[in-house]
Amino acid sequence: MSDIRITPHITPRAALQGCTRLVSRAIRLEALPEGHIIHVLGKPGDTLPMAQLAAVSDGAPHAVRAAGPGQWFIVGDRAKTHFELADLFAALQPEAFGVDQSAGRVRIRASGPMVERMLAKGMAADLSLSRFPIGYATTTLIGHIAAHVTRVGEDAFEIMVLRGFAQSLWDHLARMSGEFLED
Amino acid sequence: MTPYRLSAGGLIDRRAPLSFTFDGRPLTGFAGDSLASALLANGRLLVGRSFKYHRPRGILTAGAAEPNALTTIGREGRTEANSRATMQELYAGLEARSQSRWPSLAFDIGALNGLFSPFLGAGFYYKTFMWPAPLWEKLYEPFIRKAAGLGTAAHVADPDAYEKCWAHCDLLVIGAGPAGLSAALTAGRAGARVVLVDEHAAAGGTLLSETARIGGRSAPDVVTQTMAELETLANVTILLRTTAFGWYDGNVFGAVERVQKHVRVPAVARPVERLWRIVARKALLATGAEERPLVFGGNDIPGVMMAVAMRTYLNRYGVAPGRQVAIFTTNDSGYALAADLEAQGITPVAIVDSREDAAPLYTGKARIVKGAVVSDAQGGKALSSITVLRNGQTETVKVDALAMAGGFSPIIHLACHRGGKPQWSDVQSAFLAPGDLIGLDLAGAVATTAGIAACLADGARKAAALLDEMSINATPASFGAVEGDIVSAPVRPLWTIPGVKGKAFVDFQNDVHRGDFDLAVQEGYGHVELAKRYTTNGMATDQGKLSNVNAIGLLAEARGLSPADVGTTTFRPFYTPVSFGALAGPHHGHDFQPVRRSPLHDWARRLGATFVETGLWYRSSFFPRAGETTWRESVDREVLNVRAHAGLCDVSMLGKIEICGHDAAEFLNRVYSNAFLKLPVGKARYGLMLREDGMIYDDGTTSRLSEHHYFMTTTTAYAAGVMNHLEFCAQVLWPDLDVRLASSTDQWAQMAIAGPKARLILQAIVDEDLSNDAFPFLAAREVSLFGGALHGRLFRISFSGELAYELAVPASYGESVAEALMEAGAPHGIQPYGVEALGVLRIEKGHVTHNEINGTATAADLGFGKMVSATKPDFIGKAMVGRPGLVDPDRAQLVGVLPLDPKTSFRTGSHILAHDAAATLENDQGYVTSSAYSPHVGSTIGLALVKRGASRHGETVTIWNGIRNEFTAGRLCDPVFVDPGNEKLHV
Repeated sequence: MSDIRITPHITPRAALQGCTRLVSRAIRLEALPEGHIIHVLGKPGDTLPMAQLAAVSDGAPHAVRAAGPGQWFIVGDRAKTHFELADLFAALQPEAFGVDQSAGRVRIRASGPMVERMLAKGMAADLSLSRFPIGYATTTLIGHIAAHVTRVGEDAFEIMVLRGFAQSLWDHLARMSGEFLED
Repeated sequence: MTPYRLSAGGLIDRRAPLSFTFDGRPLTGFAGDSLASALLANGRLLVGRSFKYHRPRGILTAGAAEPNALTTIGREGRTEANSRATMQELYAGLEARSQSRWPSLAFDIGALNGLFSPFLGAGFYYKTFMWPAPLWEKLYEPFIRKAAGLGTAAHVADPDAYEKCWAHCDLLVIGAGPAGLSAALTAGRAGARVVLVDEHAAAGGTLLSETARIGGRSAPDVVTQTMAELETLANVTILLRTTAFGWYDGNVFGAVERVQKHVRVPAVARPVERLWRIVARKALLATGAEERPLVFGGNDIPGVMMAVAMRTYLNRYGVAPGRQVAIFTTNDSGYALAADLEAQGITPVAIVDSREDAAPLYTGKARIVKGAVVSDAQGGKALSSITVLRNGQTETVKVDALAMAGGFSPIIHLACHRGGKPQWSDVQSAFLAPGDLIGLDLAGAVATTAGIAACLADGARKAAALLDEMSINATPASFGAVEGDIVSAPVRPLWTIPGVKGKAFVDFQNDVHRGDFDLAVQEGYGHVELAKRYTTNGMATDQGKLSNVNAIGLLAEARGLSPADVGTTTFRPFYTPVSFGALAGPHHGHDFQPVRRSPLHDWARRLGATFVETGLWYRSSFFPRAGETTWRESVDREVLNVRAHAGLCDVSMLGKIEICGHDAAEFLNRVYSNAFLKLPVGKARYGLMLREDGMIYDDGTTSRLSEHHYFMTTTTAYAAGVMNHLEFCAQVLWPDLDVRLASSTDQWAQMAIAGPKARLILQAIVDEDLSNDAFPFLAAREVSLFGGALHGRLFRISFSGELAYELAVPASYGESVAEALMEAGAPHGIQPYGVEALGVLRIEKGHVTHNEINGTATAADLGFGKMVSATKPDFIGKAMVGRPGLVDPDRAQLVGVLPLDPKTSFRTGSHILAHDAAATLENDQGYVTSSAYSPHVGSTIGLALVKRGASRHGETVTIWNGIRNEFTAGRLCDPVFVDPGNEKLHV
């Protein structure tokens, strides 16, 4: 083994570092902390009890979201250590496998009275509260970019996007919000 | 005389004057005016010239069907040609220009065409400009385009923003006239989610021009009160200035909203136009009916106008059409205009009614001439007289305005967009909507309902019925009794008017007149689709809104058929023109497509990388240094440095797929052509994926990270395709297997560290022992970094042929780790390298990419024959891989190519010919799939797919570039130019 050891200051860099939140009375757009995002892969066709998934989450509201048949995301604001992730994956076994997507996906929160109108500029999904209730999640397109969208409040959505597209989506959302940012 | 503004009346705001210009001349209108009404109010009858004959044209309609009054609005990037003056709201500072004229609207040289009109009939261009053929592009077409045509687009970028939007509703109501308003109110009160769209700035449709009273209120007051109530309902979305232009699958409607086309300088934060996709559970078409012109001579002279339009200008805009007004009608509707004119003190000089037996409820003073027609109108730039023909006797009547009321055609356009054909009704003398509409109903005049009361009731009833289908209870809205309602009986059509002497126009916009149809039938183009192309009837911006039904009627009479037998041309979106801006939305320029950025993007940028687009990814192409003047210098340096020392390349964009499950091994064994069942934990293996047809689909490595967890890498280009392929295999082909898939491409920042010093450098940050014994070639394991501060995945794999590793760390740590590796590697000469150097390194090593995996190559073609298992029971591609054509010894096989003279070169794509063979298709033996200058070899090198290539090493060939007509003497050779024994991989 080499005698040279490099121990630099290893720091994570947020994908949306430098994107300051946009706020008006009508709309609010902010990048969420790059905490943890666990992709839970159940056996197709199986339905895991949400309580079991909630138990391994950090307990925040809507920490567990559906991500297609037999798949879920567990999300939270705090980054998990390598060993915490290993424990979580072990807890999911044998019914499900966990895949760490904490760095691969970026969460953006869009909220405010005009949030449905803003998102409708890019999303084909029906965003009305009756059709897209709080806690409901879907994978969809926002403009040309695929995203996973969860309603976390009457006027609030969390948008999860692949890291590589995060900046483009932020720019897109900011433009879509433009007319609502003029208080 | 000319049209003029009445001293009172109309829905315009006379306290709000607006200045505008037409052809540079300052004019004034009022808020609430359209450009057309303002022009008329200023006495401007002449507003344009016609497309072909450059005939003077005035304003014919008051709505979307306007064929004549096409103007160019705005300037520079905001120039909008072919804007219908009838649809353009007046605003302060509006600049409008007439079109199709030179040097001026009043004196147009092009009007000389009219003198030659006997020679310029339908088909003239096709017949006349056939020979000599070369002159078509050089002379004829440029000349015709200059002489004919509509407005001209600006060549300056549009500065304004456009956007797209989705809406969802229970009931979409298209049209805010009496039926539409009544329907929207019924549905809105019932709590249904309603979207109401109307193409005009103000809701109300014909109610805004009506003098009838509804429930004791004026018709416009009823509109105001209804809209006020609708606006209070949170479940109702009102989209005015919005044209529904298409009906699509899934009951999705396209609509374009003109958000800021009525202001001089649009607000920056808002779009000027918004394209809506409206998903409706049910839709109600309340689009009304279009009044049909009458085809008499000179029916295009300024001053001739549709009767409904004349009523609109009179009642809504307070503009009188003239002082000596005649009305030519085929039905009772013309009498409503007569009454309104008389109410304004203008007694029509004549009402010419084609019906001998007409019995209108009319008590006015106008002279009524029954059983008569207007056979011709006279005048130049303004109407001066008409010829009335009755019982073979003609009479000339001096007039300055003529209204024509030829009956009504329901506006069924949208209802026919999904394949349904319009149905002719002899009773209604009109084409009606197809009968088997799903999710769509029609109400009001579009459903041939006549009269305000009936339309109000029809809209409410149809809306309630549609809501009932969705289990929403609704009570039809009621509006009270209607006084002064005019219920016109169906019209007897009047296609061919006798005694016509002048040009009788059918399609005003395309200058198609009655004689053109006679000619079309005479020359065998009588079929409605052929007649359209032969005459150009129904083309251009109005798509025959006024002309199509008359054209069909004339064709029917000329061919001795019923209009039902003639049929219609196909109705397609768009109903009215939609701007390219609206269709593109925000996706242009910088935002044309999203950018996919590597987690090492900024790290590479700081090191001066030049980027190249690879799909949506931006990849580091090369890293130029001071003193390097060409990209080749940079790339050569990077290549040599990797072979001599070490390099770091960002390979984060490779596709990465997590494959989990108790049957993951079996799954991979079926997906890959080579064996994967016994891949040990901690090892990677190169895998080859075939398509069902036996050709190679993609390649990459798959590592077994634990008993039931594999990690697959794919090529960058095929990342999404392979993921889809695997999902298809798992979900459709083998749902019995326990396998779960997740793309993790973006989770990992992945770096290739290649070169003889790679181990030394990596060992500085990796905690585990990386010696060859402890971490041999194809080892693949999770590793601890920086004393446990971070964990990553390390793979000892090589694309360059050197001792190499790929290190994956969580993407957020990518930059930190890359910087640490550069710091650790500095004493060892590490340099970053880009995809250009990566390409050179892999070509030197004879590694293939999708240049070689081109969809027509088998595993054997590329030298991977042994990777196609002969013992596995099944895998994708197995059934087809043994086809005779795929094992033909004459197939093109992978081979290396070198120029005989190292100073010469060749390019990718060049073809291989036998030495001294002529450059012909028959002699083609293959082509160069990849090529690069190899600093290691000292010349250009290439990979090629050549007939029997594997057995022709050493053969002299000719490398032929047919595009540049270059011939290079070359030699076929082993495709591995560096370390053919793979010794470097195992050090």
